[in-house]
Amino acid sequence: MMDQSKIRNFSIIAHIDHGKSTLADRLLEKCEAVSQREMTSQLLDNMDLEKERGITIKARAVRLDYKAQDGETYELNLIDTPGHVDFNYEVSRSLAACEGAVLVVDAAQGVEAQTLANTYLALDNNLEILPVFNKIDLPAADPQKAKQEVEDIIGLPAMDAPEISAKQGINIEAVLEDVVANVPAPDGDPNAPLKALIFDSQYDPYVGVIVYFRVMDGTIRPGMKVKMMASGACYDVLECGYLRPLGIEPCEELSAGEVGYFTASIKTVKDTSVGDTITEAARPAAEALPGYRPSQSMVYCGVYTEDGSKYPDLRDALEKLQLNDASLVFEPESSAALGFGFRCGFLGMLHMEVIQERLEREFNLDLITTLPSVIYEVDKTDGTLVLVDNPHNYPDPAHIAEAREPYAKVSIISPPDYVGNIMPMCQERRGEFKDMQYLDTHLVELHYRMPLNEIIYDFFDALKARTKGYASLDYSMDEYRASDLVKVDLLLNGEQVDALSFIAHREKAYGRARRICEKLKENIPRQMFEVPVQAAIGGKVIARETVKAMRKDVLAKCYGGDITRKKKLLEKQKEGKKKMRSLGTVQMPTEAFMAVLRLDEE
Amino acid sequence: MRNNIDRYLGIYVHIPFCKRKCDYCDFYSVCGFDDSLLDRYLKALIKQLDDYVVGNSRYTVDTLYIGGGTPSVFGGKRLAQLIKEIGKRFDFTPDIEITVEVNPESADKKLFRQLKRAGVNRISMGVQSSSDEQLLSLGRLHDFKTAESAVLLCREYCTDNISLDLMYGLEGQTMDGWIRSVEDIVSLEPAHISCYALTLEESTPMAQRRPVLPDDDTVADMYLAAVDRLGELGFEQYEISNFCRRGYRSAHNSRYWDLRPYIGIGAAAHSFFGDKRYSTIRDVDGYISGILSGESVIDEADEIAVKNRIGEYIMLRLRTIDGIDESDFERRFRTPFDSYAEKLKKYVPTAHAECGGGIYRLTPKGFFISNTIICDVLDI
Repeated sequence: MMDQSKIRNFSIIAHIDHGKSTLADRLLEKCEAVSQREMTSQLLDNMDLEKERGITIKARAVRLDYKAQDGETYELNLIDTPGHVDFNYEVSRSLAACEGAVLVVDAAQGVEAQTLANTYLALDNNLEILPVFNKIDLPAADPQKAKQEVEDIIGLPAMDAPEISAKQGINIEAVLEDVVANVPAPDGDPNAPLKALIFDSQYDPYVGVIVYFRVMDGTIRPGMKVKMMASGACYDVLECGYLRPLGIEPCEELSAGEVGYFTASIKTVKDTSVGDTITEAARPAAEALPGYRPSQSMVYCGVYTEDGSKYPDLRDALEKLQLNDASLVFEPESSAALGFGFRCGFLGMLHMEVIQERLEREFNLDLITTLPSVIYEVDKTDGTLVLVDNPHNYPDPAHIAEAREPYAKVSIISPPDYVGNIMPMCQERRGEFKDMQYLDTHLVELHYRMPLNEIIYDFFDALKARTKGYASLDYSMDEYRASDLVKVDLLLNGEQVDALSFIAHREKAYGRARRICEKLKENIPRQMFEVPVQAAIGGKVIARETVKAMRKDVLAKCYGGDITRKKKLLEKQKEGKKKMRSLGTVQMPTEAFMAVLRLDEE
Repeated sequence: MRNNIDRYLGIYVHIPFCKRKCDYCDFYSVCGFDDSLLDRYLKALIKQLDDYVVGNSRYTVDTLYIGGGTPSVFGGKRLAQLIKEIGKRFDFTPDIEITVEVNPESADKKLFRQLKRAGVNRISMGVQSSSDEQLLSLGRLHDFKTAESAVLLCREYCTDNISLDLMYGLEGQTMDGWIRSVEDIVSLEPAHISCYALTLEESTPMAQRRPVLPDDDTVADMYLAAVDRLGELGFEQYEISNFCRRGYRSAHNSRYWDLRPYIGIGAAAHSFFGDKRYSTIRDVDGYISGILSGESVIDEADEIAVKNRIGEYIMLRLRTIDGIDESDFERRFRTPFDSYAEKLKKYVPTAHAECGGGIYRLTPKGFFISNTIICDVLDI
């Protein structure tokens, strides 16, 4: 059994792009866990997409053996965390598996919104936080200033913290020494009933789900019958072991303080969700570890294939992704306009984008996705409560007693110069100003309560645009509030186009309806007849445009009996014809759909 | 589809020479030529006619159309000789229609006399507009006054059976200006009028100039206004672009829309003969040397399968005011018209088409978007 005093469990936390993954790579190298040759850049992020976007989407962990300057060999368990607000819960569970966290701060950028948010998350989990100042090789680096910010804003002693360059491999050992010296060793009773925290799991086609966990109390070994305390699922452990950078390494047992995995021919990650507590079925723990929360979708949208016949492929693809991602939920839906597809729920916008891109890239699907929607709560006059994640299911206004929409707590950190740009933008999005604090002379933090609905479309991009990229954003779910919501339907030639309906606050509905009508008018080719494009709330039309009837098409004269030319012209016309979707009597190219659905990006 | 009408043949002769090429025109013609080239071309035309003479059997021709290019620049003498040589190789029906295209600026008394003597009984003249400004912008070599006198000369020395061409959708043209052109042309008392919307062909000088043309809506309005005005003035519309006094339809052009056979003589000429469509090469020198040395001058050839023949029939018949007669269709092709009828009926409520008594036809409003309708009906 491993000597607990030689174990260090820690995470690396940072604002996006401050160099978390690069530092992780260097730590691995330093511990010779991976040879230089095997070291493709940023091992912990092993999805292509993650590498491209620089975001770690799924948490991973590795066990490193580090021979410290005191001559002792320590077992370091580095637990990586996803770096985006969509995955806050996953981050918090990863942190809960640790005793310490290395806080990476960009020496040129200093403290930013997620630096704070992640620090608070770590403090919530009682972690020892070790600041590290990265990117000192950059000409713009000012480690002194960054340290001062950390001391002033966060209140952590930072003056003696390592100054490093993960990219250049400078001073990496100092980070490891800091971890050994300052991250507390785990405690926990190896002989107590088993209590282990699941912080991730991954589906493997050969062995089934591989569950990643940290043992808090007790010991787990192959052959033991374990029980997931939240889901109630029971399994016989087939194998357990350590997580190594290049794979798993089976071992006899894992006991209190250690980090590792087990397999048990588990078919889906659903039953071993993040935050659940593993205990021994025969000798269960008295109570589960705190903090478990079933994953909750915040954003929904319809996902369809451009080519309707690919529906089964889409279903298979979603099922495959779900094997590894319990937070992805979906159920079939159909739209008169788009055919058969799925209503999918996501943790947030990033999660949604990542899933969409993976579907397109890894499964070669061309997708059409509908406007994202949050979940609305509607009290009906008959006393029932309806949760609406699809505008299509929004009750008739006559049957609504009260409608509520989710609000988020929003924190924005920015240089004070941009406050004048930020405030009107938040107000425009129905943000409710809470307070503003100067973190120091050149950073200010604004707090808002804002409808989630206003955040999910383009808020982050707009914020970046109006602050030259300096502002950072963090948000978390707050509460549902009563709201004057309306459902807006779009009608083409008097027929409703289900896929374009949306729910919005009454005040915002008109402008948006008008823009969609304009966009449709621009993008719908002329038909044989005049096509009214209308937006309506209930029966009342609030915006209208008209696609004029086609009057003339190319009229080649049949000259000198050249019929072949005429035929060729018609054939050519056919080639030029875009793939059309029939919306009732109106033909509309797929591009027009996309243009309308992308409205908010402009 | 054999019936007695097929005993007759139409002949089209292409004269691909112009004094100057009009800025909007992309038909095949050459501008640099001399008498010797014209003589050799004539020789080649005559030799090509021999291909259609097999032993003692002779085809009977009921329409002959000499178009271009500018046939009038070929000279009255050559045109007369050409017609004579055709007469030696084919039987002409007593009421044969012989049309020659003439440009106003190359028409004179002598030419008309020669043509009349040669048997020409129909003249088609490209007047295009009564506005000199627009004639200039089209790159035409005549003004309206020249056109007026050419018509008078034609009437006096050749024939009353005159067809005049008009164009609309021109640079700077207004609705009023267009209707004025229509009325001015009618005042010249032609028997037949063709109205063509200007189509910008990418390769032409006019297209390169990127002119500002009236938009599609305006052009459609111009078209419909002309249909109305010409109707009021006693011209019946019998095809998308063609209007005439009663009894003066172009028999030759009607062949095209009726899928009746015609042979094309000359460079860049098109034939529909023996269920094949084929054309000769678009190259005067290559044509002449090919014909004279006995080589093939065929450019493209296309055997028309039954299914395509149905498509052509529908495409061409829908250009005409007579439209498609369901029973004629079914007799010709021995296949039901139902599926096409269903599609055409969709266009009745919007007044793009009319159906009744087994006749299906497009209205003028429908003509103007007939590409779309035809594609829909034929599923292309």
